[in-house]
Amino acid sequence: MSNNLEAFFSDIGKMLGADGVNRSEATIRRYGENTMACDDVLPAGVVYPASTADVQAIVRAANTYHVPLYPVSTGHNIGLGSRAAARSGQVVVDLGYRMNRILEIDEKLAFAVVEPGVSYQALHDELVRRGNKLMLDVTSGPPQGGMIGNALDKGAGYTPYFDHFGFSCGLEIVLGNGEVLRTGDGALNSETLANWHTSKYSFGPILDGLFAQSNYGIVTRMGVWLLPRPPMVRSFHFTFPDDDDLEAVIDLCRPMKMSNFVPTLFRVANDLYLCGSEGESPEYAASKGKTSISDEGRRALRERHGLGAWNVSGAFYGPSSAALEPMIQRVRDHFGQSGKATYIDHADAGAIPPLQVAINAFSGVPSLGELGLLKWRPGGGNLWFLPGTPMDGKIANEFQRICRGIYEEHGMDYMVMNVCGPRFARGLHVMTFNREDADERGRADACYRRMSEEVASRGVYVGRAPIQYHDFHMAQAMPVYRDACNSVKVALDPNGVIAPGRYGIG
Amino acid sequence: MQTAFTPDQLARPEIAEADGILKTCVHYGFCTGTCPTYVLFRDENDSPRGRIDLIKAMLEKGGAPDPKTVHHLDRCLSCLSCMTTCAVKVDYVHLIDIARSHIEKNFRRPLPDRMLRLLLAQTLPYPARFLAALRLARLAQHFARLMPGRLRGLIGMAKARPAKPEILSPQVHFAQGERLMRVAILAGCAQQALDRSINAATIRILQRHGCDVIVAEGAGCCGALPLHMGFEAQAKTLASANVDAWSRLLNGGLDAVVVNASGCGTTLKDYGHLLGSENAKRIGALTRDITEILMQLGLRAGREMKPYRVAYHDACSLQHGQKLIAPPRQLLKRVGFTVLDVPEKHFCCGSAGTYNLLQPEIANALGQRKAAHVESTDPDIVAAGNLGCMVQIGRFGATPVVHTVELLDWATGGPVPAALQGRALREPPAAASAPEGAAISVTPDQTPPDSAGIW
Repeated sequence: MSNNLEAFFSDIGKMLGADGVNRSEATIRRYGENTMACDDVLPAGVVYPASTADVQAIVRAANTYHVPLYPVSTGHNIGLGSRAAARSGQVVVDLGYRMNRILEIDEKLAFAVVEPGVSYQALHDELVRRGNKLMLDVTSGPPQGGMIGNALDKGAGYTPYFDHFGFSCGLEIVLGNGEVLRTGDGALNSETLANWHTSKYSFGPILDGLFAQSNYGIVTRMGVWLLPRPPMVRSFHFTFPDDDDLEAVIDLCRPMKMSNFVPTLFRVANDLYLCGSEGESPEYAASKGKTSISDEGRRALRERHGLGAWNVSGAFYGPSSAALEPMIQRVRDHFGQSGKATYIDHADAGAIPPLQVAINAFSGVPSLGELGLLKWRPGGGNLWFLPGTPMDGKIANEFQRICRGIYEEHGMDYMVMNVCGPRFARGLHVMTFNREDADERGRADACYRRMSEEVASRGVYVGRAPIQYHDFHMAQAMPVYRDACNSVKVALDPNGVIAPGRYGIG
Repeated sequence: MQTAFTPDQLARPEIAEADGILKTCVHYGFCTGTCPTYVLFRDENDSPRGRIDLIKAMLEKGGAPDPKTVHHLDRCLSCLSCMTTCAVKVDYVHLIDIARSHIEKNFRRPLPDRMLRLLLAQTLPYPARFLAALRLARLAQHFARLMPGRLRGLIGMAKARPAKPEILSPQVHFAQGERLMRVAILAGCAQQALDRSINAATIRILQRHGCDVIVAEGAGCCGALPLHMGFEAQAKTLASANVDAWSRLLNGGLDAVVVNASGCGTTLKDYGHLLGSENAKRIGALTRDITEILMQLGLRAGREMKPYRVAYHDACSLQHGQKLIAPPRQLLKRVGFTVLDVPEKHFCCGSAGTYNLLQPEIANALGQRKAAHVESTDPDIVAAGNLGCMVQIGRFGATPVVHTVELLDWATGGPVPAALQGRALREPPAAASAPEGAAISVTPDQTPPDSAGIW
C-alpha cells in the first residue's frame, strides 16, 4: 500500500500542484482529531481539489492505485466525527478549502447552487448582501458548517425548509469510477438544463437519496431551495416544570404541526440542553464526572435562567407583528389548556440567550450560541445520539424515562432537544464527556451503545450517527438492507475507493 | 489538553496563567473555520489550535523558541475571531500575548526584523515622533524603490492616507448646555498624527450631548501596539501612565473614559488584567467605546440625513474584542443612514495594529478580500470604528471611508466628514428611505418590506 500511496500522491501533486497535497505531520494529526469516544483516526494525507475535474482526477488515481479516499466539506461535523476518516490510512479529500463558491443564486425561483465548501454563514451573508429577500434554513450548529455536508448527512434546521436533504434539488456527483452523474432533471443529456435545480422528480428513478449517508460518490454541487424572507418573524416560548410534562408537550405540539398552523418545527428542549450552553456543569468538579447532575442542581439552573424542565419554542411568519398576534394568542390558549405552561414572549425570549438561539434558527440566521453546550464538561468529548420518537406523548415520555435512566446509570448528564414535526420528532441527545479521562470516555461509549440497543429493542433506529458507530448501527439493519447497500456500492464504486466504512458500507 | 510544566515553571505567574489557558483547549476545531490565516493557507500551524500547540511546546521547553514557531505565531493577527467562535472560550488573547512576550525575551530575530520592530515600537506610540516619521516617509517616497520591502510598505501607507495631524493639548472641552457626564477621552497615538477629524468629531458630539470632555495631562498611547509586538514592559509603562492620568480625575467624578479607536478600547478594558492594580481595574471598568457612550446618552438627531448606503465594517477589536456589534449599526440607522452588512464580516481586514507593516503580503491579501466584500454591497460610504481598518480598507477600495463617529457627528450638527467633502454622493432613491433599510439582519425582525414572497 505504501508504494501505491507514494505513487498516488505523486500523481496528485503533478495534477493539482504542490499546494494540492498536504502530508505534514501536523496536518495528519489534526485531520485525525475528533470528539468521539475512540482514538484519533489518522489519515494518510490530505488533498485539496479546486474543481469537479480535480475530484474526478483524484478518484481515478485512487482507482489506479487502490487508495481509499474520505471526502469532507468544511469538516465541522463535531460530535459525529469532525473531519476524521472512517478508517485510518484513508486520504482526506478536503473539498472546503478550494471548492467554496456560490455558483448561482436565482432570486426569482428562490434557489442557490453551491459547492461543498460553502458554509451557512457564507450563503446567509450573500443573501443579505443581495437585499435579504430570501432566507436559507440554517442549523443551530456552527455557522461555518457546510451546507452540502449537512444535507448529505440528513442534517436539519427548524424553518418550513428544515429538511436539508429534502430541500436540496439537483446534485452533481463524481461516482466511484470517476464518472460525473447529474441527478433529478439534470439527468437530461443536454448542455441546457432548465429544471436541474427546480424539479427533483421527473423521468426515471430518484437517485439522489443514494448519496445521503452513504459512500457511493463525491457530491461536488448541489441546488438548495430558499424561502422568501418573511417581513416579520415572531417566536413564542413555553416552559413546563416537570420532566414528565413531556407527554403533554408532545400531544400539544402534534395537532399544531399536523395542520401546519405553526410553520416552524417545535424545539422541545430539556433544562440541561438550554442551560448547558450558558456555563460549565456546577457539579462536575465535585463529582469528578462520575455521577449525573443532581435534581437540585438542575432546579437551580432553571431558576437562574428562567427556564423549565421542558422548554417549547416555535415561531410564526407574517407581514407584521399585529398580523401575527391572533396566531400567538391561539397558541397561548392551546398550550394554556395544560395548566402547566408558562409563556415567554418574543421580546423577553430575546434576553434569554438559549431562546435567542431558537429565534435565530427560526429566522435563518446562523449563530454560535448552542455550541456552548460543548463546554458543559471538560476534556472535549462529544457524541450525538439521534434516535426519534413518534409524536405520541406517551411513547415520547417513555423514551425520555429510559434514556434519562441510562444517562444516569453511566454518570452522564441528560441533555436532549426533541425537534418536532407532525408525526415524528428527532431527539438530539448530546453527550459531553471528558475524553481525556479513560473511565469517563468508556462510560460515554457504553451509554451510547446501551441506548442504541434499548431504543432498537422498541423499534427505533437512529438517524445520523457518530462515525465510530457506523458499523455498529449497520449491523442493526435487516440483512437484505445491508446486502442492498453493498450491492449498490459495488455497482457505483467497484474498487471501493470512496470512504469505505462510512455508514457501515464497503 | 494536558500540559507538562515543571513546578518551577508554574511558579512564574505568566506560565501559571498560560497553563490554565492551555488546559481549556480541547481541539474542537471550530476556530479553524474563522481564522483568516488558516482559511488562506490551510496550514495547521497557522490555525489557532495549531498555534496553541506551538505555544505549549515553546513554553514547556523554555528558552529560545525555534524559528518555525516564531514564524507561525508572528502570522497570527490577534483578530480574536477564534475567541468568538470557540465553543469552550479559550482565552487566546492572553495566551498569544504571553507567547509574544516570551519570543521577544528569548528569540534573537534577524537584524532587519529587530530594527523594524524597534522602529515601530519607538515611533508609533508617540504622536510627535510618529508625525516626524510620517514626514520623513513622505520625503522618502521618491526613494521607495531602493528600500527593503517592509519599509517600502510603510512609505506606501504614508502616501495612501495624507496625514491631517492634531496633537491635542491637555484641556477640558466643556459640555454644551446642561452637563450630564464628565468623561476623559483617549486622544491616542498614531491616530493623532494621522487623522485629527476623528478626535474632533468625538469631542464635538460628546459636548453636544452634555459631556465635559477631558484630555488628561500625561495620558498617551494605550500600550496595545507594543503589547501585541511582545514589548510587554513598554506596554505596561504606557498603560500605567494612562491609569495614573485618569485616576487623578476620579476625585472630581469621572463617568467614563471614551475611546474612538476600538483596538485601544479593547486594551483599555483589559487594563485590570495587564496591570493588576485596583486603579487599573477601575479605569478598565470605566472604559467605553464612543458608540457605547452615545447609546447610553441617547443620540439626538440634529439634521435630516439622506439614507446614504453605509457599508459598516466591524473592526475585529469591536466585534470580537468588545462584542459591540449592534450599537454602531443602531446609531447609524437612528440618524437615517441605510446600513449595509459586509459579507464575511467576522473576518479581519488585515490591518491588525502593526500587522500590515510586519506581514504585508498576508495583510494585502486580506485587505483586498475585505475591500472587495465592502464594494460588493454597493455603498456610498464605508464606516468603521477603528482608524487602522479605515486606512487598510481605503488602500484597496474606491469608496470613501470614514469613522462611525464622524457620520454621527455630521448627523447631529457637525461638519461633513473630511473624507466626504468635495465628493458627490449618489442621490438615494426615495424607496430607500424606509426606516429599516434594505440589507440588514442584525436582528431577525429587521427584514425588508419587499420580500420575495407574499405574507
